Amino acid sequence: MAANAAQQAPTPNWPYGSNSSGEGQVHENPEWEKARQALASISKSQNSTKTSPTNRTPQQAGPYQATDSSAVQQQQQQYYQQWYQQNQQQYAGYPYPYNYYYPMPPYGGPYPPGQYGVQGGYQTPTTPTGQAPAMPMMEDQSSSYSSQPPPPATPQPPPQSPTSTDPMMQGYNSGHIRPGYQGYQAPAYQPPQQQAPGQGPYGGPGRVDAKKPNNSNMNKGGQQLWQRMKQAPGSSAVKFNVQKRPYVMANHTFTPGEQAPGLASPTATNPSPGSVAATSTTSTGSAQTRPQDWPQAMKEYVQRCFTACESEEDKDRTEKVLKDLLQSRLQDGSAYTIDWTREPLPDLKPKQSRWEPVPQRSQENAIGRGGATRGRGGARLGNYRNVFSQRSPSSSSSHSSSRSPSPHSRHRDRSRHHRSDSGSQSDSSMSSDLRLPLSRRQQKAGRGRGAERERGRGAAGERGRGRGKANRGRRNMEDLSSGIGKKRKGGNAGLDFHDPNREAKKQSRAARFHTKLRTEPLVLNINVFDLPNGTQEGLSWDECPIVGTCQDITKNYLRLTCAPDPATVRPVSVLRKSLIAVQTHWKSNQDYLYACEQMKSIRQDLTVQGVRTDFTVEVYETHARIALEKGDHEEFNQCQTQLKALYKDCPSDNVGEFTSYRLIYYIFTKNSGDLTTELVYLTPELRADPCVAHALELRTAWALGNFHRFFRLYQNAPRMAAYLIDKFVERERNLALRAIIKTFRPSVPVEYVQSSLAFPDLDSCLVFLTGLGVIFTPSDPSKIDCKVSSASLTTS
Amino acid sequence: MLQLSSPEEKCQQLLEPPYDEMVAAHLRCTFAVSNHDFVEAYKCQTVVVQSFLKAFQAHKEENWALPIMFAATLDLRIFANNAEQQLQSKGKGKVGDMLEKAAEQLMSCFRVCASDNRAGIDDSKKWGMLFLINQLFKIYFKINKLHLCKPLIRAIDSSNLKDDYSTAQRVTYKYYVGRKAMFDSDFKQAEEYLAFSFTHCHRSCQRNKRLILIYLLPVKMLLGHMPTHQLLKKYDLMQFADVTKAVSEGNLLLLNEALVKHETFFIRCGIFLILEKLKIITYRNLFKKVYHLLKTHQLPLDAFLVALKMMKVEDVDIDEVQCILANLIYMGHIKGYISHQHQKLVVSKQNPFPPLSSVS
Repeated sequence: MAANAAQQAPTPNWPYGSNSSGEGQVHENPEWEKARQALASISKSQNSTKTSPTNRTPQQAGPYQATDSSAVQQQQQQYYQQWYQQNQQQYAGYPYPYNYYYPMPPYGGPYPPGQYGVQGGYQTPTTPTGQAPAMPMMEDQSSSYSSQPPPPATPQPPPQSPTSTDPMMQGYNSGHIRPGYQGYQAPAYQPPQQQAPGQGPYGGPGRVDAKKPNNSNMNKGGQQLWQRMKQAPGSSAVKFNVQKRPYVMANHTFTPGEQAPGLASPTATNPSPGSVAATSTTSTGSAQTRPQDWPQAMKEYVQRCFTACESEEDKDRTEKVLKDLLQSRLQDGSAYTIDWTREPLPDLKPKQSRWEPVPQRSQENAIGRGGATRGRGGARLGNYRNVFSQRSPSSSSSHSSSRSPSPHSRHRDRSRHHRSDSGSQSDSSMSSDLRLPLSRRQQKAGRGRGAERERGRGAAGERGRGRGKANRGRRNMEDLSSGIGKKRKGGNAGLDFHDPNREAKKQSRAARFHTKLRTEPLVLNINVFDLPNGTQEGLSWDECPIVGTCQDITKNYLRLTCAPDPATVRPVSVLRKSLIAVQTHWKSNQDYLYACEQMKSIRQDLTVQGVRTDFTVEVYETHARIALEKGDHEEFNQCQTQLKALYKDCPSDNVGEFTSYRLIYYIFTKNSGDLTTELVYLTPELRADPCVAHALELRTAWALGNFHRFFRLYQNAPRMAAYLIDKFVERERNLALRAIIKTFRPSVPVEYVQSSLAFPDLDSCLVFLTGLGVIFTPSDPSKIDCKVSSASLTTS
Repeated sequence: MLQLSSPEEKCQQLLEPPYDEMVAAHLRCTFAVSNHDFVEAYKCQTVVVQSFLKAFQAHKEENWALPIMFAATLDLRIFANNAEQQLQSKGKGKVGDMLEKAAEQLMSCFRVCASDNRAGIDDSKKWGMLFLINQLFKIYFKINKLHLCKPLIRAIDSSNLKDDYSTAQRVTYKYYVGRKAMFDSDFKQAEEYLAFSFTHCHRSCQRNKRLILIYLLPVKMLLGHMPTHQLLKKYDLMQFADVTKAVSEGNLLLLNEALVKHETFFIRCGIFLILEKLKIITYRNLFKKVYHLLKTHQLPLDAFLVALKMMKVEDVDIDEVQCILANLIYMGHIKGYISHQHQKLVVSKQNPFPPLSSVS
């Protein structure tokens, strides 16, 4: 019960996940068959026990009931063992599978009452440890399975909870059975039986990992694992159906409803196994609402739903539907308020459509489960369809499966379904829980489904036995080799895939003779291509001009992340005042941060309004100069780029000045390619501009290494060129000094260096020289000892 | 007659994808070209290349479609070029934008070719690499993005096919790599590549040989090899005649005049900055004459100042003379040193002006 509480606490998700994945899954495989059988049997038994499954169920039910009644995991385990033993005994071939499988069912059974409590304890362990042990368990049971199941299992876990998923995954992967076993065993078995040790760790971690939900999951986890396992391997439709249904049932509505009825009646009545499963599922999965608490009318409704089912597939569908329906109803409380007697029965077909490949089986399973559970309740689920449609999938299936399957049916079913179904069920559960993940699972499930379906169908009559046998056989197969899932898949694949392959082959053959023409009308997406021209950007502003209305002189710069609001944009008339204000502020305060921000906001307003006039040029020139003065080359280059474009439309008197800056900047970056390009576009008029002429001379001197001329030009730089040259003057001085020191012998006066390299005073020159490690003549400190210095310079 | 404005439907009825798309785009492209709408033609050609690439990628271990790729990509570049010119003439678009987009398409082709590691040597798509690289070179040189050439060059350097491509492709490749080396001031490698290109270029391709010479000549001169008058005449490169004469004579005045006279030509060829470096060689030759005239190892700096002034170098003073000499010594063109105290250049008694080919 603690487990239940924990589950409940986790919130709806948990119940779903746990139920669907855990209980539902666990039960599913076994439950499926069992559930179906149980459902059938229950319905039959209760109403009028009919099918063979029912017969079995009663037997199984006995143990289950006991377990249920005990509600203790140990008891459950014991029961399970008993069941297993019984089952085994009953089914000679099944023993192994049953043992393993049974453990799973036991969990389901045990989980509800005792298991939950146990699980709660387990929860703490956390998955890792649990998983690790689980793996061994898996291996023991079926190494091959373990390998296979993991993939499916992983997907499944996500829905419930990562940790739980892992275990689940493992279980599924490993061959459903193993994971399931581990998980199941761990919780349920741990205390009671052999499995307990291995399970204990597994269960502990796995359950723990499962989180709180895990607890429920754990309990359920066993089931879930089974289901998942089954699904994963069986992933095919059959498995899905079975698993899904059981999951659904157990998880949500069914579990509660089923459990409640199942528990109460089942134990006493026919489906001891079913009841156990139901109880376990319900208790575990139904943390949300305990079956006992469910309105009797709803239970009866569920029974009606299953009663209405004519085939196992119908039951599976019903189970799904009921799961969803009941879950939602129970969650929102409407389950206690609505008139269940008037609730329309779920329409199975639509659901089937979802699962299409799987659905029938899953539905069948679900139905079977639901039937079982309901059967316990008294009637079959036939009537439930509508109800289930919403809730059914998880709850109904899980519950039904878990519940419905009487011990016998469960055991058989579980063993069969679990493994065989495990894949399929897991898939189905997955599908119910996580539809997205299903894709993979479905594929697998699809294969599995086929098998499951077949099994389910075949089993339908025999349900418990046939499935059980089939499952057992599968289980054995899985255990021995890779797993039932694979085999199932293969089998299913064989069935399902043949057709597609043939068609594909036909097509490929036909393709040799017929060109495979395009079916969709050919459209050359020529216009999709962006025009390489930058017109788009320009158009964006030019075509939808904005006229600002903001009258603030100053405005902070904010990078636009959306369309500009005219209310925050200043018109040009205001911007003119802004520019003057910034210039005044700059001259008096030299606050570059402020000036830069204001200039950027002015630029932004101009850009936003598409203003490209002389004023724009003035703004950019002003900002470029301010940035240059403060050495902000990022802003400076932005302005230069804009100015270059602006000058095409708005020639300014300062074109020469900024052209010279560009030339000098290319010298700084040693970009001879751009320099050449720039030279190409220099008109004679521009060349005559003093600034440009100076820049060109500077470039020539620089290119030829004529430092004497270079520094003379540096000293006579017009306008603000010197600020730019400052960027690389140190570099050029360094080069020049190396040439001087290599050339002059025996010494060179510092004064010559100072004048040649345009140092403003002797001190700064000395600082520069000593910084480079230049050695001065011992006898005359005013001279550089070139020979010694060249050695130290080359090393530096 | 196949120049259709909307050939999609007919192509779709006859061809399976992606060939229907490719052909349809091609027909629309021809339609656009006939209308002199190169922007549209470029867009269509882009679709052609893209759809071709889809088919090409599906050709496992086959490379028979390489010639198609060559044609399609060549057209793509040409149309991009023309489209850009059209846009520029209308004052639209950003310079190089079209070509950059075309380069992206070419790169996608290049990746397909370069990553074809499965096919045998005879069926490998790698045989298409060099053609694509050459097309990309043309674009990168045009849009001044030489740094983008580096990975391409590396791809060829590490290729075991690099010597087995067709001579035509190798000539083109070496031409561009040589040019790049020249801009990177790696004149030795530039000379090697450009010389290969020049000597292997087919004799009928006079225009190409001339283009190669435009870059090979400055490099050769920088390394001390002066072209003959005959060669310049044969390839109509008389713009170099005065330059050659000035450099070999140490006639700085003539050199400056020649550079100014043909500045536009040299700048457009992108070799003005290279030719400018010939001034250093000219200084050397001029000073060598001074040395021979004075016949001494201790040369007064005033003598060089006189020589420079004779060449009408403006605003020259003794400090600049020292600076020029310092550079020549620093670069190895003169073996000697300057005595600042005595204002004299002291040169080596043996081979004070080593041959240019041994320098740099």
